[in-house]
Amino acid sequence: MTTQDTLIHAEGLSLHYGKKLALDQLNFSIAKGRVVGLLGHNGAGKTSLMKAMVGLHDHEGRLDVLGLQPQRDRVKLLNEVTYIPDVAILPRWATVEQLIELMTGLHLKFSAERARTLLKRTSVKTTDKIKTLSRGMVVQTHLALIAAVDARLMILDEPTLGLDVLSRKAFYEMLIDEWCDGERSVLISTHQVEEIEGLLSDVMMLNEGKLVLDIPLDQIDDRFVALKHDPQAAEAIAAAHPILRYRQQGESAALFDGAPPAHVASLGQRMRPSLVDLFVALTRAPEINPQR
Amino acid sequence: MPTWDDRQPIYRQLADRLSGALLDGEPPEGEPMPSVRALAAQYMLNPLTVGRALQALADDGLLDNRRGLGLFVRQGARERLLALERQRFLEQEWPMLRTKLRRLGLQMDELTWEA
Repeated sequence: MTTQDTLIHAEGLSLHYGKKLALDQLNFSIAKGRVVGLLGHNGAGKTSLMKAMVGLHDHEGRLDVLGLQPQRDRVKLLNEVTYIPDVAILPRWATVEQLIELMTGLHLKFSAERARTLLKRTSVKTTDKIKTLSRGMVVQTHLALIAAVDARLMILDEPTLGLDVLSRKAFYEMLIDEWCDGERSVLISTHQVEEIEGLLSDVMMLNEGKLVLDIPLDQIDDRFVALKHDPQAAEAIAAAHPILRYRQQGESAALFDGAPPAHVASLGQRMRPSLVDLFVALTRAPEINPQR
Repeated sequence: MPTWDDRQPIYRQLADRLSGALLDGEPPEGEPMPSVRALAAQYMLNPLTVGRALQALADDGLLDNRRGLGLFVRQGARERLLALERQRFLEQEWPMLRTKLRRLGLQMDELTWEA
């Protein structure tokens, strides 16, 4: 059921590249006002999913984006959704001002004034040529341009890849300041799991085309239990089938999906389950750590 | 970027940091709290998480929600916070400290109050 508050809805969403199954029966919804992190190893299906959402790849099953069907309504959709693909390239010959003019002609909902205001947060000048800008500045420019489109949904495929810490920080700040108004949503895929955790309201994890986790961050503590414990408790802990056993700052730790039995829980000290640990637990490459 | 430890949910850690600031008179009683947006940008957190932290402070009776104006530090918030912190210390931290003192065989007269 799609309401005004649901921006994306998928049911039985699958996607093939020839014979290869890239997405396997995904069911999920993304509401307005959310910052959704899409996590997964390379080849897990993140880019495929984003391409399907913006109508760049066909799919099986149901996928509604802003009430539209991405492939059929692609032109209309592109005025409502902004997208930075993982191989985003801005024309090197152009100046930033020329790109602003270009966007004005291309996008009904682009505001040149807003773009210029957003660019003031950066060290980029409108007279700069793209080819003279560092990688971090190019990404900031790109983000400023698409954030100036009055869209309800922003889809970013690994926008911070290859950026240094300062550039990433500037990127996150712009995202929080300029996009998180409770009405718009962002879907962002990234490898910077630890860094982005605080920014997210929801997380979706893909493993080999399957959606292995889809949860609001504030529910993670309710569902998952992480325990730090002494080495002596290791056997008893293992017997309760944690989804991951690992070491945290020199101490043994275990992660459970659902509360372990009380006698096991009392053997350790409860910690906040981190997104990184969840990611490792739920998306382990089979050949490295065989599933139990 | 601010780091968050693994002991409590992030919103709780933010609430603790904001409480610490309130104890230091930041902001003073009767003054407005920084906006959700300002705090989100400062701590690099999702505004929803910031909202949860502020709600926790409001639930502890430290903030007033003035319709249309936002959240303000309640009069008497510092006192209230001190009382809450004292209670928490006496109920949770002190028993742990006491056990340790016993384990180490330290006597009360060996502890100096002066820094």
